[in-house]
Amino acid sequence: MRRRLFIAASVSAALSACSPLGTKLNENAGFHHLLESAEALNHRVIGTRGRAREYAESDISADFPINSLPTPSGGSYADLARGGFKNYHLLVDGLVDRPQHFTLDQLNHLSDLDQITRHDCVEGWSVVARWQGVRLSTLLQIAAPKLSARYAVFHSFDVDDSGTPYYESLNLEQAAHPQTMLSLRQNGKPLEVDRGAPVRLTVPTQLGYKSAKWVRRVELVASLGGMFGGKGGYWEDQGYEWYAGI
Amino acid sequence: MVSERKIVYRHSLVTRVTHWAFFVAFLVLVSSGLQIFNAAPYLDASDKTDASRRVLAIGSPAQGVGTTSVFGRAFTTTGWLGWTDDGMGGRDARAFPGWITIPSYRDLADGRRWHLFFAWIMVVCGAAYLIWGFARRDLRELVLRPGDVPKIWPMQLYYLRLRSEPPPHGKYNPLQKVSYTLVLFVFAPLLVLSGLALSPGFDAWMPWGMHLLGGRQFARLWHFAAMAALLGFLVVHLGAVATTGVFNHLRSMLSGYYRLGAHDGTGV
Repeated sequence: MRRRLFIAASVSAALSACSPLGTKLNENAGFHHLLESAEALNHRVIGTRGRAREYAESDISADFPINSLPTPSGGSYADLARGGFKNYHLLVDGLVDRPQHFTLDQLNHLSDLDQITRHDCVEGWSVVARWQGVRLSTLLQIAAPKLSARYAVFHSFDVDDSGTPYYESLNLEQAAHPQTMLSLRQNGKPLEVDRGAPVRLTVPTQLGYKSAKWVRRVELVASLGGMFGGKGGYWEDQGYEWYAGI
Repeated sequence: MVSERKIVYRHSLVTRVTHWAFFVAFLVLVSSGLQIFNAAPYLDASDKTDASRRVLAIGSPAQGVGTTSVFGRAFTTTGWLGWTDDGMGGRDARAFPGWITIPSYRDLADGRRWHLFFAWIMVVCGAAYLIWGFARRDLRELVLRPGDVPKIWPMQLYYLRLRSEPPPHGKYNPLQKVSYTLVLFVFAPLLVLSGLALSPGFDAWMPWGMHLLGGRQFARLWHFAAMAALLGFLVVHLGAVATTGVFNHLRSMLSGYYRLGAHDGTGV
């Protein structure tokens, strides 16, 4: 009896002490900063190596959950969608030698990647889908980033309820990965509006929140510090890791 | 006569420090891991998410009701799982309750920060312990060897009080060796490998990890199962501590000094 009491008391005491103590520490800025230090280590150790697994047509998931707004709330998007994205331009600019405007036709013409990969959400679920589009490296080669460029920032048409624009970023090593692409088609069909039409980012080597939907502009920059929340992405500004390879 | 038994130096400083750091890291990893689990409160024996291969699902089918399904069989677990403490004084649709997660309220981003930080502490302590134990040959006394196998059952009989004396053994008895061997060479490595296999970056780099485990969602299932196995070990371990002298064991894991028992002073 004493033994059972000891076990029950110690396991539940240990576990239930963990939560309030952890919650208190979580709100301590210094301790939170210490926790964040693991990201650099994880980035260094795991980094951007190898290639994400590619799947067969038969592996494609029947269902692909939508974890964003069904349609972006940015002002110009509704007009573009009504016009079948005929007036859409992808802007590639910033620290590049040759800034570019790509129409959808031009992007379709440049299309050079067709891959079936797994999309892993930070929440824990995974889905397999087929993506067709342009390797990001192809577009970057055309635009020719300057030596000072270190990150590619992806601006989305989407804006959240409080007016904060959605954006994401990759360093140039991640951007040049042969599986990093701007997708135009999903599972053989042009992207639907709720899937990121007409152009979305696909980064199979990192978690799903990196794969920004409704991309309107790729901007090459030297640092992420001055942009929006300064952490390099919409979710990153809310506490998620910039390095989402883990 | 307890007082006449010998006091020996049993646990080195490295063993003691790594033991307690591992313990703290493990508790934090369980709490923050349950926070992460809550974001997708189900486990599938598959690569991609597949509801037809669901092993465990915790949910809230209606306001105020919590259910837990194991292999498709649903149980009402309101208050414990599914509909639980939201960590902010109320109740909500939440798989694991707020009193057991870090942070107590729903926060996947911070749960991940805790998890990915303390995973390093656990791995570094585990590796330091193994390397130190291997170099000093301490592990020899802890690891199950072929000669121990015939003694497992007699030891079990002794624990069940169906045998008056335990079979002769060294510093650790055969059942202790079984559990330590499982923890050190099966559960802990499985925990680390399945955790790594959840990383899309690791999968691209070393795809064999995920393949070995049956896919990514399967890796989540293994990760959860290895956690449950280690939690099970913790309960057995505390049970053993409780029955063989709490003070003596605590002292030996704090100061290193242990008073030998009647059968040779078995360690826990």
